[in-house]
Amino acid sequence: MTGLILRRLGIGLITVLAVSVIIFFGTQILPGDAAEIRMGQQATTENIAALRERLGLDKSYVEQYLHWLGNFVRGDLGISLSSDVPITNLIGDRYKNTLFVSMLTALIGVPISLALGIMAAMFPGSLYDRILTFISVTLVAAPEFFTATLLVLLFVFALGIGNAVVVGSTDGKGFFELIAHFALPIATLSFVIASQLIRMSRAAVLNVMSSPYIEMAILKGVPRKRIIFRHALLNAIGPIVNVVALNLAYLVTGVIVVEVYFGYSGLATLIVQGVQTRDFVLIQGLGMIFCLTYVILMLIADIAAYASNPRLRHPK
Amino acid sequence: MSDFKKNDPTLANLSKSDQQRVLQMLNRGASRRDVMGWFMAAGATAAASSPIFSSLAHAAANTPKKGGRLIMAADQHGPNDTLDPALYTSAADYFRGRMFYGSLTRLTPQLGYEPELAEEVMSNDDATEWTFKIRKGVEFHDGKSLTADDVIYTMNRHLGKDSISKASSLVSMIKEWKKVNDHEVVAILSSPNADLPIALGTFHFKILQEGTENFESAIGTGPYKVKEFKPGVRAVGERFENYWGEGGYLDELEHYGIGDSTARLNAFLAGDIDAMVNLPPKAIAQVEKTEGKEIWSLKAGAYVNITPRLDMEQSDNAHLYKAMQALQDRQRLVKGVMKGQGSLGNDQPINAAYFDHCADIPQRELDPDMAKFHFEKSGIGNTAIPIVCAEVAPGAVEQCLFMQREGKKIGINFDVKKVTTDGYWGSVWLKEPICVAAWNMRPTANIMMTLAFKGDADWNETRWKNDKFDQLLVDVRGETDADKRAQKYCDLQTMIHEDNGMSIPMHRNYVDAAASHVQGRTEVPLNNFGGAESPVTLWRADT
Repeated sequence: MTGLILRRLGIGLITVLAVSVIIFFGTQILPGDAAEIRMGQQATTENIAALRERLGLDKSYVEQYLHWLGNFVRGDLGISLSSDVPITNLIGDRYKNTLFVSMLTALIGVPISLALGIMAAMFPGSLYDRILTFISVTLVAAPEFFTATLLVLLFVFALGIGNAVVVGSTDGKGFFELIAHFALPIATLSFVIASQLIRMSRAAVLNVMSSPYIEMAILKGVPRKRIIFRHALLNAIGPIVNVVALNLAYLVTGVIVVEVYFGYSGLATLIVQGVQTRDFVLIQGLGMIFCLTYVILMLIADIAAYASNPRLRHPK
Repeated sequence: MSDFKKNDPTLANLSKSDQQRVLQMLNRGASRRDVMGWFMAAGATAAASSPIFSSLAHAAANTPKKGGRLIMAADQHGPNDTLDPALYTSAADYFRGRMFYGSLTRLTPQLGYEPELAEEVMSNDDATEWTFKIRKGVEFHDGKSLTADDVIYTMNRHLGKDSISKASSLVSMIKEWKKVNDHEVVAILSSPNADLPIALGTFHFKILQEGTENFESAIGTGPYKVKEFKPGVRAVGERFENYWGEGGYLDELEHYGIGDSTARLNAFLAGDIDAMVNLPPKAIAQVEKTEGKEIWSLKAGAYVNITPRLDMEQSDNAHLYKAMQALQDRQRLVKGVMKGQGSLGNDQPINAAYFDHCADIPQRELDPDMAKFHFEKSGIGNTAIPIVCAEVAPGAVEQCLFMQREGKKIGINFDVKKVTTDGYWGSVWLKEPICVAAWNMRPTANIMMTLAFKGDADWNETRWKNDKFDQLLVDVRGETDADKRAQKYCDLQTMIHEDNGMSIPMHRNYVDAAASHVQGRTEVPLNNFGGAESPVTLWRADT
């Protein structure tokens, strides 16, 4: 087990290194550099040259890469090219927002949807299963901004509860005040991930239910509840954990539409703004954070799968 | 000499003590007759007294109340938000700058200027030396007093070849800044510039403390001091109790951006924010009929344009650009795209929002016959004419599409290519034979034309070269006779209208929205939220 985890860690590390090369040199392909974009429509050639030198954009790429990677390992993400502020300052608040929203969404969305999905798997083809399938497929197909618009229309304009955008500072707010602060984005995202998780957990459990040893258990006369919770669920944990991990990674990195719609700043919006301002240092730092998030979450998912499934631990 | 620039017969032209005295009279219930009598006794003419009275009465009816909090929402903001005035790029930067800093002069709605941190502004006869007397008793947020050294430090950041200032071109004629004494500085110019105090009233010339290099916070002389500033998240100012002037009425002023226009509108209608910039034209009617919400629109000189390069093949054909100008459906653009929140363009940049606008140039209209005549002479025939456009401002794409449609009717084959706005200014603009652009208004006609129409300007979009124009443009800067000045500006605008080749079909207003309790709105037509000048005067009516 330890050996497996160590090997998995090693692969993760190589992935991160490979991604760092891609991120660093990928950002150099974008047209225009930070000096040009920052000076904008009004720049003169002299202005641009002066700024370029100040930002260190006149050094060779390899030199810039090694310097950057060394600093990243030490936790120094560098200074933003577009605003002269340390990247860690830019990320700080947004990271808190993103983390809070995704954690809470996971806390609310994951258990509920797993329970609903497994229940659907217990009674496949029942009326309950069909209604749930209909709702979750509809929600999978509905884009986030549509769900968000419906929620705003219902809660803010019809019922008069809450804010249409996330306003004000999170400083000094307690846990429940924070939930109220982010209520609508969390609700929107819960709908988005729930629909997917319900479908996946139902499918995973049903998939196991059709395997021979379950049929054996049924023939033996084991009650259905016991079959699902004792035998099927343990074997379905692997795929379910993987889907949960992917959804969590999405919550950290990919919720730009929700962030833009509710007007709060998170990491996803930040990286888009980074691309627009050609702030390579910011893009690189965020790219690495996203990569680490994925690698760590997948690592946890894999370990959970190993732990729940002895066959993975002892491959033939 | 700069008297004619002070074209405001308003409150601002009275001395501070007189303003106070008259306001006190009005607040005690003095009638128009009383106040006029007081003016006449003080030696003013009846003609001059009347407009002063109306602006005073207006001011008295709207006496600001102290207290409360307002949230003003910009559109674009992001990690490149900054507190360094030399690097300001967006309306959000400009507005925030006004909260925390002050400048030597302050612009008026007619784009004249009034003194701010400089209590007196004088020039020599040919406008090559400007003296600024620095106001005494002005305090920075950290308690230090404003002196000439602070002004000189600030101004030197905009000078020189290696300046990173975005506005260095506005002051490139300044040779040096000299300190006369602790409260007087002189700018020595290499060529005359009668408009210098106006340029210095714009966004980038906010006065810093000597030696400021760290811009994580702002120590300025503005009516609010920094309570919180996080780039792309929010800026919160709290009232600076030792502000030297009138203004800074709110307890707190919060400012941040909501990039998505629908989200911004939702937040405004739901009352989460008190005012928003750039109301989408399609939402104008909705806001107008909502109780307690108002449009805050400023007629401005901002424009969208289509520019042919006169030094590239095909687009150098004078008959082609004349045909393009005749094909602009100007009425339809203003009515259809801007919902009336704009004005007709006349293929030259200076419209009625500018002090030096020339009203004598006949308005160009949609004229298919004229277009056909020129197109046939151009000899282009069926060949496709590529036009690259991007949604750089409302109407920028529509102007191309409308022209394409009108062109089709008379057999012109415009090939309109729409590209993304990301990277547009770097990779398309000034490079393609025919492309579009969008311009904000500049404080004076001379600055606008120097930036974008002078033969040697970097952004001379059509690469038009006219020595007579260039000469006149420099001459008029030192012209101190009002009639001659007007004539010269008319000549300049006529030359662009006739020969430059650019199509400017439409000028757009700055259209913002504010709740009725947002008072103290300014009307300087240079940017959103009243030229970003409103932070000083904003107050809340329902506290």
